[in-house]
Amino acid sequence: MAEPATDLTLDSAALLASEEHEVAIVGRSPWYLAWRRLRRNYFALFSLCVFVLIVACCAMAPLYARHIAHTGPNEVHAGEKVKVDGKLTPVVGGGSFYDAKTNRFVVRAPAYLGPTWWHADGRFVLGTDNLGRDVAVRLLYGGLNSLKIGIGSALICTFVAVVLALLAGYYGGWLDWIITRSFDLIWAFPVLLLAIALGSALSINGFHHFGISIEPGSLWIPTLVISYVLIPYVGRPVRGQVLSLREKEFVEAAIGGGAGPLRIMFSDLLPNIASTVLVFFTLIIANNILTEAGLSFLGAGVRLPDPSWGNLIASGQDQIQTAPWLALVPGIAIVLTVLSLNIFGDGLRDALDPRAKVRMEH
Amino acid sequence: MSSKRRWTWLLTALALAAGVSMMVAAYGVAASKSTKAPQHSQKAVGTLRAVIDTIDFLDPQQAYTGQSWWAMWNVYETLLTYKHVDGPAGYQLVPGLAQSLPTISNNGRVYKFKLRKGIRYSNGKALKASDFKWAIKRGFLATGQGVGFYTDIAGAKKYSQHPTKSGNISGIITNNKKRTIVIKLAKPRGDFLTILALMFAAPVPASTSTAILNGKIPGTGPYRFSAFDANRGFTMVRNKYFKKTKYIPRGTPNKIDVALIGDANAAVQRVINGQADYTNAAIPPDRIASVKSKGKLVLRQTANTYYFWMNIREAPFNKLKVRQAVNYAIDRGALQRIVWGGLGQATQNVLPPTYPSYRKLKLYSHNVAKAKQLINQAGAKNAKVTVWTRQVSDAVDAAQYYTSVLNTIGLDAKLNVLPRATYYSTVGNVATHAQTGWARWLEDYPHPLDWFDVLLNGNRITDTDNNNYAWYSNKKTNSAIESLKKAQVLTPAVNGRWATVEKQIMQQAPWAPWSNRVFPEFFSKKMGCIHTQRLYGIDAIRLCRK
Repeated sequence: MAEPATDLTLDSAALLASEEHEVAIVGRSPWYLAWRRLRRNYFALFSLCVFVLIVACCAMAPLYARHIAHTGPNEVHAGEKVKVDGKLTPVVGGGSFYDAKTNRFVVRAPAYLGPTWWHADGRFVLGTDNLGRDVAVRLLYGGLNSLKIGIGSALICTFVAVVLALLAGYYGGWLDWIITRSFDLIWAFPVLLLAIALGSALSINGFHHFGISIEPGSLWIPTLVISYVLIPYVGRPVRGQVLSLREKEFVEAAIGGGAGPLRIMFSDLLPNIASTVLVFFTLIIANNILTEAGLSFLGAGVRLPDPSWGNLIASGQDQIQTAPWLALVPGIAIVLTVLSLNIFGDGLRDALDPRAKVRMEH
Repeated sequence: MSSKRRWTWLLTALALAAGVSMMVAAYGVAASKSTKAPQHSQKAVGTLRAVIDTIDFLDPQQAYTGQSWWAMWNVYETLLTYKHVDGPAGYQLVPGLAQSLPTISNNGRVYKFKLRKGIRYSNGKALKASDFKWAIKRGFLATGQGVGFYTDIAGAKKYSQHPTKSGNISGIITNNKKRTIVIKLAKPRGDFLTILALMFAAPVPASTSTAILNGKIPGTGPYRFSAFDANRGFTMVRNKYFKKTKYIPRGTPNKIDVALIGDANAAVQRVINGQADYTNAAIPPDRIASVKSKGKLVLRQTANTYYFWMNIREAPFNKLKVRQAVNYAIDRGALQRIVWGGLGQATQNVLPPTYPSYRKLKLYSHNVAKAKQLINQAGAKNAKVTVWTRQVSDAVDAAQYYTSVLNTIGLDAKLNVLPRATYYSTVGNVATHAQTGWARWLEDYPHPLDWFDVLLNGNRITDTDNNNYAWYSNKKTNSAIESLKKAQVLTPAVNGRWATVEKQIMQQAPWAPWSNRVFPEFFSKKMGCIHTQRLYGIDAIRLCRK
């Protein structure tokens, strides 16, 4: 009787061993594992798509303004008429007027051109504001400004906070004390109040010190103000992580191997906090967009007539009865952006480190 | 993401959507209905409940806002005052504390008054002629906002340099026994009678401290302040020592309760809800049509001019063609709709139409093509311009329009919005080199000098706190204003000369005036007769219920 083919021979055992070995040795990087987890989270991916779509739309604002709407974000058309479905309609109509015959004012509500939904050759798709400006163009430009500030300030804030956290956590001692107390000092102020105070002060004359010159209307002002006020909110938790990692064996091994502080901080510690930083970065963009909206709403962020979602809501609230879309449309844009970023941020956190408790608190 | 978290997000999104929907529903547009004013029998008001947005002070030597003066006019009397009547007659000066109008010397420098007999303050003490002198001195001692009006009194300039309680203003001679006040001016001033009718010159007891005493200083008017809270409001009750005169009535309300509420919507809602009888809140343009059916809407014409100034010392506005181009480019009619929903009249004049010196100017019809042409001719294409305005919604709207117009005609304009509190001092500082911007002027007193002398007389330009934001100075105009200062009475000939001055100025176009605004005043349906005094606004002491 012949030996069954499945019997183990020395060769097949070796083959199996080598296959097992292959499986065992082909490791998956934490990033790959995270991606595998993330791609199963359809809700987070959908949110990412929404956010990317919003960014793409806003990035195309100049193209839309020039080739479709044929107007700039600050161009006033109050005295003009536009053809809607072939019918000439005033951009800003209605309103009270003085009747010379009766020597009295006739009181009427002003009528702003509402959304034309492509019935006016691409002009005033989302209607006009009280100055006769194209709301769609201002919405896209406003989004562009809000996103520039949100993403820009998140980059600056995260970079500075991580560097400070690494220095404080690794070196400890007096440097840690100084950095932590500086964080505490900023932390002691309510975020929005501190941002309003700085934004208002800088918006009058700009910033002209230390060889840096920023003009009053520059987007750098809200960007830097928001970066500054949120540094401790990223820096403190990251410092805590660095402090705990500082005591791990791999750091001691690196020190034993003769690695210098900079190499340990940026080659050993930084990769270990990268997932936390990435999640923070995502969440802080959403947070910064909200802070910018708050600042601009209160007149301490993006300067008029330049639009941002915050100042569009502020401008629209006076016309909430006759033109509710003026405040609603930018409000919805903010909700969608922040919601999509937060959901994606949560998904990213679950994917990178499900046990982590990373969240923005202030 | 855990399913729990997912649900949390969904619920958050739903809550947000629901919130937005509720907000929209809450602001649902009510159909506006026009109603005829019903016939009514007049009833005393009892307690008048008013809501106003803000006041600065309730101290006669300090207050300098229309809202404060609206209340104080019924508490503090001045030597001369204005009639409690509707219409143009409200501008007529009549004796207040004085027995009659003063005698004025031929050279226009000496004014002689005699006080009425038996006038008492609300604390029962008798008014003395010397109290007038103390009021003027108190203004200087407390660096009150109106002291500049009185520096033409002989000795006042010297006194203002080192003011002391015991110091003297030689140009004010009083006799308590004879109840006479003689005022000597260093130089004649045609608007001096109207200046004496300003609240700053209201006599106060000689014992009154120089500290700011809001609502605590006794007055001689028909009412007195009985309570004051800077954040909530104040109350006025009858002054039992007041005796009515030919020109100052006793007043219909027994009590006037004034609440201070900055939010116009909240103020209006109070009136609609029956919690208040009246508000002067700046109702948002798009709400006016819907609220008018819920109460009584009165549109009050006041003397005001809204304008864009152009600094003739700064390029490109140092060129006449650029300034003219701006005047041609502005669509004044559209601006009325943009800024206050049409509740204003387009103007090209400095003076408001309520003045007898007013002659309607039609120098610049709306013509953008001509404006562009003028900019090209002036070689100012792409010239950099900063437009200045203050952080108040109507000013920001107007300035945004203005910035857009400047860009349309070929300039390169950007907007600079300053906080409300620092705006005028910043643009009125020569060091700012402000090129152009938004401004408005509401009359202090009804006289052309309050406009031309304060705002456009080159001789009065100062390096700081300058009111002439255009830095406009023209020899011909300056001398005409100085000459007209001497005119004691606004005769038709004098009014004609003022009109000529105005035309001269507007031909040089340092301003682009664009609106004479009307102010909405909102009353509850229970209010009957409503009276407006041209200078002080709603005449609270002549109101009545249905």
